[in-house]
Amino acid sequence: MLLDPGMDLTLRPMRYPDFYERYRAAIRNTWTVEEVDLNSDLADLSRMTPEERHLINRLVAFFATGDSIVANNLVLNLYQHVNAPEARLYLSRQLFEEAVHVQFYLTLLDTYLPDHEERVKAFAAVEHIPSIRDKAEFCFRWIDSLGGLTRLESQDDRRAFLLNLICFAACIEGLFFYGAFAYVYWFRSRGLLGGLATGTNWVFRDESMHMEFAFSVVDTVRAEEPELFDDRLGAQVTRMMEEAVEAELAFAADLCGDGLSGMSVGQMRQYLEYVADQRLVRLQLPVRYGTANPFAFMELQDVQELANFFERRVSAYQIAVEGNVAFDESF
Amino acid sequence: MTQTFADVVDETGHDPAERKLAIEEAAARVITDPENSRVAARLLAELIADETAEHGVRTFSESIAATHAAGLLQDRLADFVAANAEALDALVAPDADDRFEYFGLRTVYDRYLLRHPRTRRVLERPQHFFLRVACGLSETVEEAAELYALMTTLSYLPSSPTLFNSGSRRPQLSSCFLLDSPRDELEAIYERYGQVARLSKYAGGIGIAWTRVRSRGSLIRGTNGHSNGIVPWLRTLDSSVAAVNQGGRRKGAACVYLEPWHADVEEFLELRDNTGEEARRTHNLNLANWIPDEFMRRVEADETWSLFDPKEVPHLTDLYGAAFDEAYRAAEAEGVFVRRVQARALYGRMMRTLAQTGNGWMTFKDAANRTSNQTARPENVIHLSNLCTEILEVTSDAETAVCNLGSINLAAHLADGEVDWARLRRTVRTAVRFLDRTIDLGFYPTSEARAANERWRPVGLGVMGLADVFFALRLPFDSPEALELSTRISEEIALAAYATSSDLAVERGRHPSYDDTRAAGGVLHPDHYDAARSDRWTALRERIAETGLRNSLMIAIAPTATIASIAGCYECVEPQVSNVFKRETLSGEFLQVNRYLVRDLSARGLWTPQIRDAIKRADGSIQDVPGVPEDLKALYRTAWELPQKALIDLAAARTPYIDQSQSLNLFMATPTIGKLSSMYAYAWKSGLKTTYYLRSRPATRIAQTTVTRAVPEAEAESGAVACSLENPEYCDACQ
Repeated sequence: MLLDPGMDLTLRPMRYPDFYERYRAAIRNTWTVEEVDLNSDLADLSRMTPEERHLINRLVAFFATGDSIVANNLVLNLYQHVNAPEARLYLSRQLFEEAVHVQFYLTLLDTYLPDHEERVKAFAAVEHIPSIRDKAEFCFRWIDSLGGLTRLESQDDRRAFLLNLICFAACIEGLFFYGAFAYVYWFRSRGLLGGLATGTNWVFRDESMHMEFAFSVVDTVRAEEPELFDDRLGAQVTRMMEEAVEAELAFAADLCGDGLSGMSVGQMRQYLEYVADQRLVRLQLPVRYGTANPFAFMELQDVQELANFFERRVSAYQIAVEGNVAFDESF
Repeated sequence: MTQTFADVVDETGHDPAERKLAIEEAAARVITDPENSRVAARLLAELIADETAEHGVRTFSESIAATHAAGLLQDRLADFVAANAEALDALVAPDADDRFEYFGLRTVYDRYLLRHPRTRRVLERPQHFFLRVACGLSETVEEAAELYALMTTLSYLPSSPTLFNSGSRRPQLSSCFLLDSPRDELEAIYERYGQVARLSKYAGGIGIAWTRVRSRGSLIRGTNGHSNGIVPWLRTLDSSVAAVNQGGRRKGAACVYLEPWHADVEEFLELRDNTGEEARRTHNLNLANWIPDEFMRRVEADETWSLFDPKEVPHLTDLYGAAFDEAYRAAEAEGVFVRRVQARALYGRMMRTLAQTGNGWMTFKDAANRTSNQTARPENVIHLSNLCTEILEVTSDAETAVCNLGSINLAAHLADGEVDWARLRRTVRTAVRFLDRTIDLGFYPTSEARAANERWRPVGLGVMGLADVFFALRLPFDSPEALELSTRISEEIALAAYATSSDLAVERGRHPSYDDTRAAGGVLHPDHYDAARSDRWTALRERIAETGLRNSLMIAIAPTATIASIAGCYECVEPQVSNVFKRETLSGEFLQVNRYLVRDLSARGLWTPQIRDAIKRADGSIQDVPGVPEDLKALYRTAWELPQKALIDLAAARTPYIDQSQSLNLFMATPTIGKLSSMYAYAWKSGLKTTYYLRSRPATRIAQTTVTRAVPEAEAESGAVACSLENPEYCDACQ
């Protein structure tokens, strides 16, 4: 079974071809930081109000460390315990993607914050800005939740692991990051910070895949060991989700202050509750909040993009194209 | 909130912040009801009116006075308007703004309306803008009224540079510039960078060939060193293009053309890769292959292909057709090639670049030259196309080809369920006259551009909204009726355009190089395809034999990305990309929904939240949405779902009536080398002169936030589900 302890190395016959397909799909969507053009953002930044500028500075300070934390958990927990070589292939790929995200946000901060001291402060945000520190502590607590467990022998061990996995997928990638993306898309819906939005689009695409991978690990474990999914686990997940919503809300309060036109803590609460509900539904748990999505601009990211090629770099291409020259294939 | 925003509108007063919010809300809800787009547009029109009022602008003549006082307009225009203020003010149609969709008006507001240099507030309203453009190109009030009438009804729009600059102090009105390859020497290369920068600055798109520049390893006599090939030069061009910002309105953009016998062609094809050494990448340049038939024949026959250093064969790029074939084979026989490759291997490499980057457009040198009106004399050769692959004009060191463009909105030429042919012809006549006018009024950033444009006087009249016509008339894109109608439209446009140019030749004289054209020898473009046998063509040919022509070229189908947004129609001759999609532009992102589909579904009581969500979940496709009738599924297929053969067939059928070319995008969700190589070979055999982007789709996508999605059933049950290996993109488990 997927969570049985060990280091399975056998790829044929392949037990979980879905994981392998996810790995291949991820490779086809490789992007690099050099493709993102942040030039126009600088002009936008110079025109922003102090409130907007504050929001952006806080946001990038969070970005500066978020992906590194996810990468840490991947190395310390996920890679060790998800015991199928095809799943580990995907995780290796995910690790690379997290590195690209870290590099993207590093480049972003270097560009957005030309002042050396400000830059240093932003990278240290996780230590001295309370709203960011609290989120990080939430993450660290869950990274350590397995307490150095090296083999998932008992059912409780496995439940502990599931909580860790779900926390990083549903709460951190699936909620904290989704909160952050909403701010970016809010700016973009007003035609601002196109460079950040482009990079974020690609990061978002990757994160969506990470989350879906983790959920499909959960689905697999559920199929193999349904007895792990008892009411207590469900209650723990719901509580964890609530905590995450509160942490993200404290962050929102810090970012939005008294509110900006089109973005306020109240709306952010609705949005986060709405997203949290979606995660719970995906995990086959009852809805916790029953809130509707308040951000019309988030509809925009659900549909196909059609960029004008002269204005935006387009992220819709694939690498690793296959096949040989032929003249009789249908098209 | 599922109803329209009538309530919000009523409550919204003149508070700008509140109104902005209401606009954004309404705009984001277009998917529930496309009427919200009109609501948002109406609010925005009010906002614009209030904004102009801050500078005291209410009427057209006031807007001209204000923009002139702000130093934005030429005196000639200000004087003309002042002298005719009453008559011109009366032209402004009061309710004309109601014709805008939100995205169109927003585009006009963000990018086209003239702003005060200091306050950045707009100084003209949308209708003032249209009338200003019209007056900028007119000598009399009647002329201005004629052009304004077309623009205000969104029936015809000049291209963006004309919209931006008509009546301004530096009226650069042309869309495209085509520069010949620099000669193979340092000074010539740097001189070209300078020209590119000057042309780019005034909002022109650049096409530039690079085939004459020597390849890697070639001996440099002056220093006894060896050349590093074309890549370092193109890197410099890349940086130069990126550095030029077109007045903050667009980024500079250029496309480099290379013939596939150039020995650096493989490195050229890697310039847009997102992996590998950054020093050998150009992220801002577009790339196009300028392909002789001989190459395609060798691909078909699976033969070898020789790569040359242009220094050894400088004559090749100035030859096409049989003369090229002969010279190329002779050079091979002499053994002066750098190396030889399998033609299919190189062709496969081209396909890979297209699939991975959408770039490396396939354009066909021989088809382009063989039928061009400009290439009657052997010294006049087309060496490249432009940034959007619809312009084909001769170039040389002394002549930079230029083109002035405008496009007819076909959707606005429907009446009672058919095309209003008489009205279409009238529109063409007006359009050609004003395109011709732009040649004389334009400011030319370089003397080479002026020289070429005055001698050849080419214009490019195109179309947009063909997909709207098909939807309105309920013709599936790949139906024989669609092909017939599309071809007839092109023929009517060509007939009217040539007739108008003939009239202009009588009124204002032939273009100076008329004697160097094929038309002077009695051959018109459709004659090359035996597609001008009707009496109308015979009569026209006879008339042109007497009058000559004012313009050497007249028809080119441009991509119309921005002006189609303004007009609220689908782009040029393209099918729709999705029934629900967002546009990403410099102004932000905008949701668009196929209003014809909404109309049809609503009429059948099927525009329900469930079906809306299902369409969104399916990425704008209706093919697998339960409950949608089959006839609608056939009509509302997206570009990804249509056979691409149909796009190529439509393009090929209209080619006889397109004397330049067309920006033809091709779509393939999951491209493979096999499918692509078959498709482009077919395009070549069909006689297309050029193709444009290959559009494909990402292998993975963003998780949807606003569509509720429970656990995929099968996945929940069996844990791991194998995706379809052929098509992971469409596999539900991956999304």
